[in-house]
Amino acid sequence: MIRMVATRLASSSLSIVILVTLVFFMAHLTPGGPAYSILGMKATAASVAEVNARLGLDVPLWKQYFLWWWHLAHGQLGYSYLLSRPVGSLLWQYEINTLVFYTVSIVLSTVISILLGLVQGVYFNRWPARVIGGLQLGFYALPPFFVAAMLVLWFSVGLKLFPASGITNLREANPGIGTYAAHLVLPVVTVTLLTVAALSRYFGEAVHEELGKDYVRTARAKGVSFTSILFGHVLRNALRPLVTILGLSFPYIFTGGVIVESVFNYPGLGWLMWRSALSQDYPILIAIVLLIGILTVLGNLLADLVNGLLDPRARYE
Amino acid sequence: MSEISLQSSAGMPAAPLGRLLGWLGARATLATGIAIGLFIIFLGFAGPFIYQVDPYAINPSHALQGPSAGFPLGTDELGRDELALLLSGGFATLVVALPAAILAFFTGVAYGLAAGLGPSWLDRLLMRLLDAILALPSLIILIFFASLVTLDNTSLILLLGFISWPSLARLVRNETLAQRGRDFVLAAEQLGASRFYIARVHLLRVMAPILVVNGTFMVGDSIFALSALSFLGLGVQPPQVSWGSLLESGLDIIALNPWWLILPPGLLVFGALIAASLTGQGLLARYGGTR
Repeated sequence: MIRMVATRLASSSLSIVILVTLVFFMAHLTPGGPAYSILGMKATAASVAEVNARLGLDVPLWKQYFLWWWHLAHGQLGYSYLLSRPVGSLLWQYEINTLVFYTVSIVLSTVISILLGLVQGVYFNRWPARVIGGLQLGFYALPPFFVAAMLVLWFSVGLKLFPASGITNLREANPGIGTYAAHLVLPVVTVTLLTVAALSRYFGEAVHEELGKDYVRTARAKGVSFTSILFGHVLRNALRPLVTILGLSFPYIFTGGVIVESVFNYPGLGWLMWRSALSQDYPILIAIVLLIGILTVLGNLLADLVNGLLDPRARYE
Repeated sequence: MSEISLQSSAGMPAAPLGRLLGWLGARATLATGIAIGLFIIFLGFAGPFIYQVDPYAINPSHALQGPSAGFPLGTDELGRDELALLLSGGFATLVVALPAAILAFFTGVAYGLAAGLGPSWLDRLLMRLLDAILALPSLIILIFFASLVTLDNTSLILLLGFISWPSLARLVRNETLAQRGRDFVLAAEQLGASRFYIARVHLLRVMAPILVVNGTFMVGDSIFALSALSFLGLGVQPPQVSWGSLLESGLDIIALNPWWLILPPGLLVFGALIAASLTGQGLLARYGGTR
């Protein structure tokens, strides 16, 4: 078990180091560079050189690269070019918003997916499952920016039920928890709709598959009620693939999050990544790439560990 | 997708949808997918020639009008004809997304074959690089690289093409390794066939169904990725419009409730994605079993 975790971590760390290296050199070898995005394209050579010296971009590239790791080892992720703030504290500020947003979305998506998947598995090939299957296919193909825009159009512009942007109201001095919650509704609904479309399908398949297995037939033959088979045995076994998919989908939920956060101007990591990409703020971008890489690895690992708890057979794979 | 879009766009493994779709039938699924796909391709490539209204003609006196006889899909905030913009945007989207998908397809196949047929150190090196790229969702990497380069059609095709191939490459590599030990490949090797010949004549033929199915999905992924990038302002650049950027400019003035600027581009991207998805699923159900 510990050995499995250690090997996995070592192998994934190598992947992340390669990724960060690729990203670092691509960022610094591209012509143009941050000096121009700060000063504008008509900047003079002298002012560009001055900015480069200030940002530490005049040092040889290999030195910059090792300096980056050196600083990381000391817990520093560099300074944002445009915002002139340490990247670490910036990330943390946005990370909190993202964490709240995703925790609510993922919990909600999981619960709804389990309910839908149970219905789908039990009524397989009958009309309830078919209706759900059709909806899943439709929502699966919906682009997140479209879903988000339509929700704003209906619930914010049309019905005026929920705010469309930001996390607080402009004129409110001390926003209460209700304000934050109201601003979360539409982003969470967007991500949940799309995540459920993907997750519930896997779970429905898994429930259907489990229901066809021998232990279910045996249990029914000896008179166990269908409800207790479903919730006592099938649910637990069918959760395994769901947990795996959930672990794998962390980074993808985040991807959808970049778009959703940009639609709703929700100040999370995705929004920060989007703004930094538009302004070529590489220190932030590289740090976010590193962070998402780590989250991906941890997500996968966590899924395996939870599966081990759910099912002893999966413990020593 | 949708990552989300947990889409396969977002790179999620394709679910066994085939059985859930059983009631529609593989043939009907395939036919529906191809019909929607052809309709969208027709709109993008023939539309601008049939509906000959200048999409960039600014006409402030007609700004932000809903659909009417004069403007079938209304006008935007500059008074430009929305239908003409949509058709022009469709062309701009397809002319980048389709070549990018083809490029990604061939890169993926070549990379997978090289890893599967080459010496083992090459396989290890290539797969290590692949793991690094797959450690992040492709849209994240796309956003990163799109921020680095000057965005024009060529760079967008290269960008999308060189970033969306890894999952296909892994599939081809695994399939190659699985097929490599089979009798007909061994026989061909004994007869002195070169690796290139074996790849071309034997392996590609055996893998054809999988390749076609995945190629179809890649077209959808490519359209989604380009639309998402354009929506974020990192794809097709103004003054040229695209589906993604049209939706974004509708969203900019969403407080004025311009549903006719948001619904059509969104539906077109949705249509393209569902066409790719249905076609792929239909092909999978019909030919996927024959390995």
